[in-house]
Amino acid sequence: MARDRIVERQRVFRQYKEDVKTRGKPFFPYAMLHDTIMSLVVVLVIIGLAVAWKWSVPGHHTGTASGWLGKLYDTPADPGTFNFVPRPDWYFYFLFYLLRIFKWPPSVILGTVGIPTILLLLLLALPFIDVRAERNPLRRPVAMTAAVLTIISMGILTYKGATAKEALGSELIGKVPEWAKEQGFEKNPLALKGARLFAVTGCLNCHTYLGSGNHNLGAPDLSAIGSKNLGIFFQIAHLKCPSCVNHGSPMPSFASQGNANLTALATFLEASKGPH
Amino acid sequence: MATQKRSRQEQILYPLDWLEERSGLVGAVRYFLLRNVPADTDWFQTLGSATLTAFLVQATTGIVLAMYYQPGPTTAYASIQHITNDVWGGWLVRGMHKWGASVFIILMFLHMGRVFLFGAYKYPRELNWVIGVFLLASGLAEGFTGYLLPWDQTAYWATTVGINLNGTAPFLGPFIAQFLQGGTYINPNTISRFYSIHMLVLPAAIGGLIALHLYLVIRLGVTSPPWSKTAAGLGPLDGSGPNGSGPNGSGPDGSPVAPAPALEGSTSG
Repeated sequence: MARDRIVERQRVFRQYKEDVKTRGKPFFPYAMLHDTIMSLVVVLVIIGLAVAWKWSVPGHHTGTASGWLGKLYDTPADPGTFNFVPRPDWYFYFLFYLLRIFKWPPSVILGTVGIPTILLLLLLALPFIDVRAERNPLRRPVAMTAAVLTIISMGILTYKGATAKEALGSELIGKVPEWAKEQGFEKNPLALKGARLFAVTGCLNCHTYLGSGNHNLGAPDLSAIGSKNLGIFFQIAHLKCPSCVNHGSPMPSFASQGNANLTALATFLEASKGPH
Repeated sequence: MATQKRSRQEQILYPLDWLEERSGLVGAVRYFLLRNVPADTDWFQTLGSATLTAFLVQATTGIVLAMYYQPGPTTAYASIQHITNDVWGGWLVRGMHKWGASVFIILMFLHMGRVFLFGAYKYPRELNWVIGVFLLASGLAEGFTGYLLPWDQTAYWATTVGINLNGTAPFLGPFIAQFLQGGTYINPNTISRFYSIHMLVLPAAIGGLIALHLYLVIRLGVTSPPWSKTAAGLGPLDGSGPNGSGPNGSGPDGSPVAPAPALEGSTSG
């Protein structure tokens, strides 16, 4: 069977070569004309996008204001800001959104590395899986269904990634009474102050706490950090210089908060023993 | 008079003859331009060369940008501002590079979609599909590494997320993340690593892969649209082919329309 198929496809390819030789058309000028026109369109579209990008920026077309196609550049990189919402370029939105679907830490690997790797391996394997000679889309229902489903899911993930909203500090601070109730620190004013600071200083851009916050940076969940009983002094030292206490920690320093705020934050963290 | 004319023609063509005799390049270009392609090749099949054009735009504008861009955490942002606001035509070159990246990636996907629709990844073109997948992955990696270079807030934080994604990969993840960053977190080394990968490693890889890709396109030829009644591979159109199969007697890929034993039991569409 397999042997017949190999002989048959070799015959078809020989026939293809023969047909191209006897009744094909020369690449130049026929196909090349189409290619040239298409290439010119591509270059013009790129120039058009560049012009629209620059000249739609209000004012003198400089600075960090946003035009139709976004900003010319953002404010300078500042590793010390804690409330910046990270956004990749649009073609990584699907990956960005996959991460929000796989929120449970052990499954994050599946979302970030597993699915892209599987997709890449499937793409590489495609011509070796689909070995049928049939090329007409109408007679390849499985391939066409798989393609349509892939396009739809990539489209949905990209759209979701583009419109996803991060929780803002102003929204998170409303959760403080709820946190206090679940963790049982309602009567501890210093922990309450720490909880409010925790909500607005961007901790939840990297960490999660009782279902709020982000997994995008892979930082640990802090809902039950207090159950480790690391102590107020450890927490303050860690907030001041995370990598000094925890070698290799990518967390930035929060020393600029000052001792009073850091004590409040540490008290809040130690009071977070996990929901009862 | 005639001999006089011929010798003048010979004189004009002499440099070409000289080059051909020593390199064979003239013959190669003649073959490339005058080789036959299927008569029903149409606009769909311009997406590949359109993608190549987008890559050439990226290469050209990238070379110009490299003359002004200064990688480094204290210089990168200022040089991007300088290119965008002060250098004559700098905004256009940077704008074309920035938007050309998106156009390049869209065209790669469209080209891949066309090849999929036409079933053009099938025998004997499997290898070229594999090269194409590597080109797609390299192109996306170009997008990822280039995004950091303006060294603004968007760039910095998006790359932080991206590197952390790599870091979650089992076994090799932390090493990849550390290699990309040149340390355990984004630091002054990161920007020069990304710049080197973005403008040396990946463009060289993409250039080499494109050369292989084109070599195989020329060697194997492009496919006719699968729905074409005059597709190459059907045999002579008057039905007097060596196999006696005319346009009505066979499918677009040349296989008989009646169930062929060779195709029975094959999987997936």
